[in-house]
Amino acid sequence: MGLREDLDRFREVGERNRQDLSEFIQYGDLGGSRNDEIQIPIKIVDLPSFEYDQLDQGGVGQGDGDAPDQGDPVGRPQPQPGDGDEGEPGEDSGDHEYYEMDPEEFARELDEELGLDLEPKGKKVVEEVEGEYTDITRTGPNSTLDFERLFKEGLKRKLAMDFDEEFVREVLKVDGVGPDAAYEWARGENLPVSKAWLEDARREGIDRVPFRREDERYRYPETVEEYERNVVVVNIRDVSGSMREKKRELVERTFTPLDWYLTGKYDNAEFVYVAHDAEAWEVERDEFFGIRSGGGTRISSAYELTAEILDERYPWSEWNRYVFAAGDSENSSNDTEDRVIPMMSEMPANLHAYVETQPSGNAINATHAEQVEAAFSDSDDVVVSYVSSKADVTDAIYEILSTEES
Amino acid sequence: MNSDRIRKQRVAADLEEAVDEAGQLARKLGLEPYDVNYWVVDHDEMNQLIAYGGFQRRYPHWRWGMQYDRQRKQDRYTGGKAFEIVNNDDPSNAFLQESNQLADQKAVITHVEAHADFFANNEWFGLFEGRSPDDGRESRGPNAAAMLERHAERISEIMSDPEIDRDRVERFVDSVLCLEDTIDQHRPFVREPDLDDGEDVDEEVDLSELNLSDEVVEEVFDDEWLEAQAEADDDHEPVSDVLAYLRANGMQYDEETGRATEFEDWQKEVLDVLRTEAYYFAPQKMTKVMNEGWAAYWESMMMAGEAFADADEFVSYADHQARVLNSPGMNPYKLGKQLWEYVENTTNRRDVVERLLRVEGVTWRNFHDVVDFDRLEDLLAPDPRLDAIDHENPETLLDLPDEKVDREAVEGAIDGEVDLATDPWRALTYEGLAERHYSLARPQNRVFVRRIGQNELERISRYLFETERYPGVESAVADVDYAAGWDRMYEIRESHNDVTFIDEFLTQEFVDEFDYFAYEYSRATEQYHATSTDAADVKKKLLLQFTNFGKPTVEVLDGNYENRNELLLGHRYNGVALDLPQAKRALERTFDLWGRPVNLETIVKEVDDHDLKVAKRRNAEPEPVERGKLIRYDGEEFEEQDLPREAVEEIAADDVDYDTKPDDWLA
Repeated sequence: MGLREDLDRFREVGERNRQDLSEFIQYGDLGGSRNDEIQIPIKIVDLPSFEYDQLDQGGVGQGDGDAPDQGDPVGRPQPQPGDGDEGEPGEDSGDHEYYEMDPEEFARELDEELGLDLEPKGKKVVEEVEGEYTDITRTGPNSTLDFERLFKEGLKRKLAMDFDEEFVREVLKVDGVGPDAAYEWARGENLPVSKAWLEDARREGIDRVPFRREDERYRYPETVEEYERNVVVVNIRDVSGSMREKKRELVERTFTPLDWYLTGKYDNAEFVYVAHDAEAWEVERDEFFGIRSGGGTRISSAYELTAEILDERYPWSEWNRYVFAAGDSENSSNDTEDRVIPMMSEMPANLHAYVETQPSGNAINATHAEQVEAAFSDSDDVVVSYVSSKADVTDAIYEILSTEES
Repeated sequence: MNSDRIRKQRVAADLEEAVDEAGQLARKLGLEPYDVNYWVVDHDEMNQLIAYGGFQRRYPHWRWGMQYDRQRKQDRYTGGKAFEIVNNDDPSNAFLQESNQLADQKAVITHVEAHADFFANNEWFGLFEGRSPDDGRESRGPNAAAMLERHAERISEIMSDPEIDRDRVERFVDSVLCLEDTIDQHRPFVREPDLDDGEDVDEEVDLSELNLSDEVVEEVFDDEWLEAQAEADDDHEPVSDVLAYLRANGMQYDEETGRATEFEDWQKEVLDVLRTEAYYFAPQKMTKVMNEGWAAYWESMMMAGEAFADADEFVSYADHQARVLNSPGMNPYKLGKQLWEYVENTTNRRDVVERLLRVEGVTWRNFHDVVDFDRLEDLLAPDPRLDAIDHENPETLLDLPDEKVDREAVEGAIDGEVDLATDPWRALTYEGLAERHYSLARPQNRVFVRRIGQNELERISRYLFETERYPGVESAVADVDYAAGWDRMYEIRESHNDVTFIDEFLTQEFVDEFDYFAYEYSRATEQYHATSTDAADVKKKLLLQFTNFGKPTVEVLDGNYENRNELLLGHRYNGVALDLPQAKRALERTFDLWGRPVNLETIVKEVDDHDLKVAKRRNAEPEPVERGKLIRYDGEEFEEQDLPREAVEEIAADDVDYDTKPDDWLA
């Protein structure tokens, strides 16, 4: 009703008009998004009208204590404040509209777009989640006391007593019969009666529902072992001197959607970012795609660090693991053969991937990818993928995500 | 829900006193606002109200959802805080956000009172209501909330009518909204205007009926005139109210038969509703700078000038003001406030200078030499008794001139019924308050009189009609009209809109003082550059930004173009080109309302690649070539045709120029 409905309609219109997912991954601006919210630009969602050519229009600015001199470059015109104030709907805010996807939706859409069907495995027993309170014990906190049962049992007892109450009382009236004799007699007749009760009954009758400790039952939740579908994704990137702007961008374009996708597929996703040249070090995501160092390249350094991190924080018994590495395939001599390949085979993971970004075709000494590919040609948990331009990105993503061992 | 309501009421009760006082103070200062109903709402409700343009109910449309979404996101990412929203209605409704601090709420209330005054008194708002300047305060008000509610109701009904496909309604609403700014906002709103659509104009002038002498007939109604008349009949006046024209002459395109058919009733209704709303919102769009500036001016007068906020609230208030006004770039709020203050200062200065020029021995030539400005500035200071109201001895106020003192309030203070300690303004009248807040006495404006230029002195001197002379500066200052600035401001807020306001009051002195500058885009460098700090240039760019909602003027030139019942729209080219890709999309939407092919005539600017290369090498800007263009859309595809520049002379406006690029701009 009302605005909610308008909002839903906007989402529908937005969905219809959003940029195609592959196109977005290949060419769109991934930077506006965050890990928990992916912003896909919406094309032409707002209504057109007759407007000036913005560039031809020019404008007015205000200096801060000083106006710029003629010819000085000035920044892009800023959106004006106060839009949306009292008044005019649909006013030029100038910004792009975005269609926002959460990672779940992204994963679903990507599945559909690329025809993937990655079924994540529940791995770690996260918690013994409490199920229904169906189990019963004889002790427990007062709040879990099954009072209903207690009362019922008491009532049953009382009804049983009430049954004999009058009768027994009458017995007591028989001349010469005291509680002892009446008890003897009642027990002989299999009447449920206690001597203490009889003592009481003779004095004051009975009027309470008797609660007895032996009737107390405490309810207890059934324990359900819940498996969390959790995943750790290790992103490894070569940041050495040879990784120039273009290669870096291709890595970012490949890794970022993978991160989103896996975030959307798993209940809990954690990310580890490892940068390396000849050494490796762990970094935050914010820095990861921007770093550039001057050093040489030794890919095994990254796998050493990765092995350490995984062993320490993400045991294979409890975590799904993805290890994605990217670079231009250049490595120091023999490093791939002697160290990287053995380490990869020893490091258990759902998937190992190496993404080669080499915009200008293969360099002569760039053989890492090929070596890895050859070494693991018959294994189903290692994939090597080649990205030489933006157009290759979605194929690479498909290749990687459809390779996982089943 | 229930506890929520209770909380809201409590917040409202806390504010009741502030609302009441602000209303009284505003009226003392000369504002004549509509009554305002204040509502306290939570954050999400505020976002909803903003999305709906300040109302609680609007017709169903995804665009409100988009604005709501945007509003919420803006909040999330920037911590942007919505402070106020008030709607143009009698009584006005203003919404306060419950989480705001008291100082913010007070600021909002003072701000709102000023907006409500503007709505009630600006004549452009009267165009919608049928209020004319002569009616004075007899405004009927726009009755907006009820109207928009009715519209919402009606369009909802249409949308849920099982006979009508909802998607078609939505599509139709979208198409109309694309043209919502192509109305004639400078004319009073008429529900069904009498349009000269060319079909019923066939009035031949029968001269014999006029009973004129032959000589007159020959002289006035000569052949040339008659010819011109005939031509004019042929060549109808362009129609600015495109929506009204389409309402009267438009058709829908029937996909099945492939022909244009009459509008259905619901389509006419939707057109009426949306056109009415376009006219209702137009005045707000035409007076944004003025209205926001006006509200900011009076807000700061009440908050800071009259200490409407307590001392500890004031810091947070100042903070809020800074946030609203100190946003980067050109800020219309700030421009408005600065212009209003400038109007106040220049009016007061003119009043002072007129008197000084009548002092014995003072002329416009020797003005700067003979006037002792330090002394003048001291003399202009308000009477100290007005400046600092002595609330402990209110009886001393009774010695002040009658027109400055509110006797009733002062007597109340003497009896202990009126508290002048917290509300000193109660002791004064409008005149008294004007003196108390005299702009030229404020420290930052003290140099204002001194700064006046020779040209202006001469001009003032030339139009000086009073000949009586003052013996000295003291007697001249004694006659100064302290309310001159405010009086003038009140006149201006009645009759101006943003365009006339900027056109009339933006001067070189103003541009220099506040560092405004014009900029243009360079094709050679592919970025914007400052072009000028000349007031004329700054004005050009501002007028472009505020004329016709900042959009190009597009009118109906012909409803039977080429004798084929096609629509011909003309873009009144003022030197600034259309956004062509967008114009084509708008044209597609226009087809939905015409049902037959639609055409748009415009002028484009083209730069030759070779010229561009040469220009880049020489650090110069290439000279674009203007060319006429006719774009035709037949419902399926576009057809573009170049026209020679001479052929589009009629849509080119030669008397305006918005270009500020100097010759050796980039050298």
